[in-house]
Amino acid sequence: MATFRLQGTRVLAVDLAGDAVKAKKGAMVAYDGEMTFKKMTGGGEGLRGLVTRRITGEAMAVMEVKGHGTCWFADRATEINLVGLTGDKLHVEASNLLVTEPSLRTGTTFTGLRGASQGNGLFTTTVEGTGQAAIMSDGPAIVLRVTAGTPLVVDPGAYVAHTGNLRQQLRSSVGLRTLIGEGSGESFQIHFEGEGLVYVQPSERNTVGGQI
Amino acid sequence: MTHPEGPVVHDPYTLPANDNVNPYAFCVDLDGQWFLQKGKMIAYYGQVDFHAIGHGPLDHLVAANFHSPLHASAWVVAQGRGKMLLADRAYDINSYDLDDGNLTIRSGNLLAFQPGLALKQSIIPGFLTLIGTGKFVAASNGAVHFVEPPIRVDPQALVGWADCPSPCHHYDHAYMRGILGGIRALTGIGGASGEEHQFEFTGAGQVLLQSTEELMAAADTGGVPGSAGPGVPGAGLG
Repeated sequence: MATFRLQGTRVLAVDLAGDAVKAKKGAMVAYDGEMTFKKMTGGGEGLRGLVTRRITGEAMAVMEVKGHGTCWFADRATEINLVGLTGDKLHVEASNLLVTEPSLRTGTTFTGLRGASQGNGLFTTTVEGTGQAAIMSDGPAIVLRVTAGTPLVVDPGAYVAHTGNLRQQLRSSVGLRTLIGEGSGESFQIHFEGEGLVYVQPSERNTVGGQI
Repeated sequence: MTHPEGPVVHDPYTLPANDNVNPYAFCVDLDGQWFLQKGKMIAYYGQVDFHAIGHGPLDHLVAANFHSPLHASAWVVAQGRGKMLLADRAYDINSYDLDDGNLTIRSGNLLAFQPGLALKQSIIPGFLTLIGTGKFVAASNGAVHFVEPPIRVDPQALVGWADCPSPCHHYDHAYMRGILGGIRALTGIGGASGEEHQFEFTGAGQVLLQSTEELMAAADTGGVPGSAGPGVPGAGLG
């Protein structure tokens, strides 16, 4: 059983006892003990996964880290957040996924227009099962709860991930005033409804909708 | 479901009211209007509308509180009720209260302010002045330090100043002296340590510094409209 420990907020230590984790390729910064690093083509999801990821553009360069000892992971000093899953599904952009336990299955799913407005493509990565996943954010992620009575609106550029049973809908308020240069800068928004948690980062990626 | 030892989960009731969620995000308890720089809202609960500054339903509010045509395209008014999170490129965010005061701040650092404050363009190009009573939110690259004049500060570390007279440039004497200084003065070519030019503050007040010399990206708003006429600093640049 791999155990995940955060050392500070930007380095993740994973203790391995003969088992393996899936990690973003090149994210290992140090290890002790015996480790092997194996490239996993197509996100380690087999031939079908390989083809799907090629077609969808949700490319995920993943390696399998296996061995005995401790392995430390970090990526460009971005903040790392641990997400514990007990049978539910995490939606996250492939570029924000750092390490997953072997008990978790990863896959791709269609997100519709939301992805396009984020500049992340039309597809997103899903992580399913029971275990821990480490996701990255620019600045520490803020976890916001969505319930039936409290829907949430998120800027596409600040969205990182979500769990639970959520419906998401991209809304735009592009109108005549946008065209004459009087945009509100918040024309594209993702509305979340249902029950679940949304992870947002205190920063915005450059998005197509950002200046509109 | 997440593990019990998981991260803090916020909902509209546990989010702070007009306070920081963490060093990088600020939560506005909106009931009415706030002025925001475009694109700094990361999420909100409740019913919030964003109106561009220009012709619109909030004309009289804008007329009373917003006096900088050059910055109008970079600002919006958030109107409604709810909890709204603000952040800027994972920089440090702080809120400040002004009580019938004035504060001048680099335009790229100001994120949001309450309508009790009026925003005016400073005569120092690239800076904005807030006058009145209310709360505003500003970003800095690293924590903000408050220092009191008399002081000379590095131009890039300056975030803003409150209550004291506007600064002047200060050049080290050695920089202008001697043959090398003469060449530099005539041709603009010459070596420099990078620290012989400072901003000098005098009088009573407070100066806000950030802990890096890395400037935050901001729209180029250094000038004033070209028709402003002679004697207006920065006229014709914008």
